[in-house]
Amino acid sequence: MDQPKIPVDMILRHLAEDAEKAKGRVQKASDILLGQLDTAIATTPYDTVYQEDRVKLKHYRLPEERGGKAIRTPLLVVYALINRETMLDLQPERSVVNSFIKSGVDVYMIDWGYPGRKDKFLTIDDHVNGYMDSIVDFIRDRTGHDRINLMGICMGGSFCVMYSALHPEKVKNLVTTVCPTNFDTDQGLLHVWMKHLDADRMIEAFGNMPGDLMNFGFLLLNPARLMIDKYVGFLENMDNKVFVENFIRMEKWIFDSPDVPGETFRQFIKDCYQKNLLINSEMELGGRRVILKNITMPLLNIYGQYDHLVPPGAAEILTSKVGSRDTEDVCLDTGHIGIYVSSKTQKEFVPKIVSWFKARDGEKRAQAGRPPANRRSAPLKKKTRQSVAAKAAQR
Amino acid sequence: MSGDESQGVGFESLLEAWMKMAGQFWKTMPDMRADTYGMPEQTSEEGQNKFQESLDSMLKLWNTMSLLAAEPRAADALFKGASVVPELMMKVIGSGWEGYFTMLQQTMQRMGKIGQQTEAYSFNNLDENIFKVWSDIYEKELRPLFNVPQLGLTRFYQERIGEAVDKFNLFQSTFAQFLRILSLPVEKSSKVLQQQIEEMAQAGALPESSQDYYRMWIKILEGHYMTLFKSPEYAESLRETLNRFDDYLIARQQILSDMLQSLPVPTEKDMDELYREIYQLKKKVKELERKSNGT
Repeated sequence: MDQPKIPVDMILRHLAEDAEKAKGRVQKASDILLGQLDTAIATTPYDTVYQEDRVKLKHYRLPEERGGKAIRTPLLVVYALINRETMLDLQPERSVVNSFIKSGVDVYMIDWGYPGRKDKFLTIDDHVNGYMDSIVDFIRDRTGHDRINLMGICMGGSFCVMYSALHPEKVKNLVTTVCPTNFDTDQGLLHVWMKHLDADRMIEAFGNMPGDLMNFGFLLLNPARLMIDKYVGFLENMDNKVFVENFIRMEKWIFDSPDVPGETFRQFIKDCYQKNLLINSEMELGGRRVILKNITMPLLNIYGQYDHLVPPGAAEILTSKVGSRDTEDVCLDTGHIGIYVSSKTQKEFVPKIVSWFKARDGEKRAQAGRPPANRRSAPLKKKTRQSVAAKAAQR
Repeated sequence: MSGDESQGVGFESLLEAWMKMAGQFWKTMPDMRADTYGMPEQTSEEGQNKFQESLDSMLKLWNTMSLLAAEPRAADALFKGASVVPELMMKVIGSGWEGYFTMLQQTMQRMGKIGQQTEAYSFNNLDENIFKVWSDIYEKELRPLFNVPQLGLTRFYQERIGEAVDKFNLFQSTFAQFLRILSLPVEKSSKVLQQQIEEMAQAGALPESSQDYYRMWIKILEGHYMTLFKSPEYAESLRETLNRFDDYLIARQQILSDMLQSLPVPTEKDMDELYREIYQLKKKVKELERKSNGT
């Protein structure tokens, strides 16, 4: 039998070439890392117009060249309690917030702040019917609109769903993005792991759920890619200043993790992940049942096909459970945060939402949940699967 | 008289003699002290120094004890007590050695498995026996020591310290097991990569760049981790590790609270109670505001 021919000489030659390239890369990288780097995040100008305890409300200024709002109804963006809302404004050319205001959307965004020990008793009810309701009322008074547009991200989306079910008279249009509402799925590892978690014991030990511990848990979801391959990629590209700046911005955001108030964490794990009460309209906040059929305003539900945190199975069922007749599901070929930070996806994501809002911005439009008395129309339920590559090919 | 008995008698008589000498030594100490330093002996009418008084009484006590120890019956009791200690030590050491050799045996068996073919993406034979052996040893031999009922005024604090040490040990062992499980995909992926390289070498299709080898390895590693994370063993280990960690933190917090009680610093429990009251007050105020505004 022939001996296998291992090209040792070729491998060694390639290694020598790689070492030479690496040497040049390191020299350039040291100049970059020791030089001036633009790694600031959340640079889009805003004003803090409201504050209650640790919670602030940001209002983004429309650019002067915009010349006014294209959409009259203000938009309130509600981010999750995990990580920070700065992800929507990581860098000027990849900022969801910037794209919205350039499109003429009047954007308000909640900054949940950094919970301390004194916030450990705050429940989901305090966040939804407390802080969110106060903020919505503030925006309504400030802008003179009876109803506002609401957009939720991840856990913030779950809060928006709960809020819209409890206060439908205050919400004109609802957009949920990568929002978990159905937790009875084994598609994602988080859904598998959270079923075994003893939330009571964790809160007794920690008080608030530490952000660092959650971060570690998220890294463990894919340690090969998130703890090894990511940094190998950095080493391979660290002579590229733009790459380094974007990488550091992402690192700044991803490890900026506030703690989650203990009682909120407890309820979210037990009522959502373990008992799956939300999608079954059995969840209660402050003694009031969250009934999804009460969501009668138009609903746009966007999720990622390759989202490992909120898999399609956790997000796609929502539109079939609400009372609204005007619903649309959009499944993008991307992951959990790719929707917001990928330059390719952003070209689809924000224009889609803006055009959807524009079509529903009229004040005298009949309420989507109840058809006019003289005409019964079929429900406007749509589901689109948008492939970024397919769209690009069409152009 | 047998040899052993003669040895025992000889030793006892030697001890007796030594004890008598010690007694005489301590008896003469007070007299020597005054003579050595040339200090006049003070009587009680002259206001004898308290320190000298207590020193004298201590020396007299030593003298009495030495004479008592020289008594054959006392020496006999001392020997019987001392003979119990080696027996106890032998028992503890024996259990420890037994456990050590069992663990060593397990390790040798595991090492024998190295080099055998491995089934890719399979974690059906997770080798947890070593950790199970340690857990059994700890539960049976060591844990009862930390749960011994405590006595005295500070018994509650002692119990909490014992509990914290116990919880720490439990956490350490489950954490070690968890880390072991996390390292399994790294081991397996290295073996699978070796097999793949061999197959590619047989087919004459070896990659030329180190990058290609790295990409192969990272893809295999990712696949192994995905398989592991979906396994019930991992979920169970994760749950157990988190629970043990929580238990340890709670026990540790108890000790810190005990320590803080002696300082003018509020404990975490005090602050939590205060925060709860503030939270409830704020809710009531909001409710009242809402009612008064008619919303």
